[in-house]
Amino acid sequence: MTSLRSCLHLLLIACLLAMLAMLGGCASSTPRMAEVRAFAADAPKLNAYHDLTERYRGSYQRQQPFLAPDADARERVLDASRQQASADFRRIDDVVQAYMQALGALAGDRQYDLRDSIKVVGTGIKAWPDSGLEDRHVNAFTGLTRVLARTITAPMQERAVNQLLRDAREPVQQLLDAMRKLLRLYDRSNDNEQKIVLGMLETEIPFLDPGRDRLLIALSKSLEQEKKAEYRLIGLRHTLARTNLEAIEQRHRQLVDSLPPAQQ
Amino acid sequence: MSHTTQVDIEALADSLSASADALHARLLRAIRQRPAAGQPAPTAQSAPPPISQAAAQALFENEVILRQRANALYLEAATLAAAGLGGLQQQLLDLTAQAQEKIRKIDRIKDLVALTGELLSLAAAVATGAPERLIAPYEKLKQRVESL
Repeated sequence: MTSLRSCLHLLLIACLLAMLAMLGGCASSTPRMAEVRAFAADAPKLNAYHDLTERYRGSYQRQQPFLAPDADARERVLDASRQQASADFRRIDDVVQAYMQALGALAGDRQYDLRDSIKVVGTGIKAWPDSGLEDRHVNAFTGLTRVLARTITAPMQERAVNQLLRDAREPVQQLLDAMRKLLRLYDRSNDNEQKIVLGMLETEIPFLDPGRDRLLIALSKSLEQEKKAEYRLIGLRHTLARTNLEAIEQRHRQLVDSLPPAQQ
Repeated sequence: MSHTTQVDIEALADSLSASADALHARLLRAIRQRPAAGQPAPTAQSAPPPISQAAAQALFENEVILRQRANALYLEAATLAAAGLGGLQQQLLDLTAQAQEKIRKIDRIKDLVALTGELLSLAAAVATGAPERLIAPYEKLKQRVESL
């Protein structure tokens, strides 16, 4: 009886190993998936684009106090078309971020998820006390299970991730390209806004009377300093947004370029 | 085609912005100019600019017009740059949805853990040496393997 049992155990292990060999292929670790996850983790960096789109939409409100009546009327007309057109600009980064997040989830590390269910299996086996299965057997089997699950999910994952990268290559590239152009146009537009706001102060302050308008001079010079600081900060944000976008563009291109040849 | 147009519009806007910059530089020079020699030289602080305020404002108003024109063109270029992105966005959204479907599929691999559990149940049943206990785990295992 004992020899029959050990014989069966051996048989079982052999079965598992055979199954493993059949299903698994190579159970290599996947640095590529780690790379994809690192890329996906950068998705929030696109928020800078989102923020600058919002700022672009608020251009009229910032200029308004500095505009003469005619200029104000013209800017209101421009603002209406800006609001309408830029409603579409806002959605671009949402879509790209959703894609990056899905890509990251697809390349995700699921080992931890499995650990708990493996434990459950282990304890389930102990419900057969007269089977002769001991803890060490259970441990060996759960260990195998872990390898098995990884062996099967890893290549599936890798295939799915590569397929997604391949299919998304064109739309992602074009959307990122459009975002880059839009950022550039926001930036140029922001330059003009800045020069309207600061230019008004620059034009008006010299005409103030140092004796009579002391308070006004103090306030406008202080406002001028604040505005200069604000626009300098926005300039830095534009640079950062562009750098982030370029980095994402480049890493995506690298991932796409290093795709294995398509199957089928 | 629309790309060329977008680039053209942007270039035109750039040149309007540059003209506004040139105008502004001229305006500032006029405002800051020292009074001609021979006239009493007041301190820099209190010297009124040689150009009248109305003239300066009129010049600045022209500069603002140029900048607003430029910004309208930048907006037009932006609209062109974003034109036709709707389809691409939809395409990417579809791919994202497909990816999520695949994630669910891969997560079903967790079933494998259950599979192994059933395999072990079968083994345990075998090990008890009671053949009638084999039938249930065997059927479950068979179903599981077929569903993979």
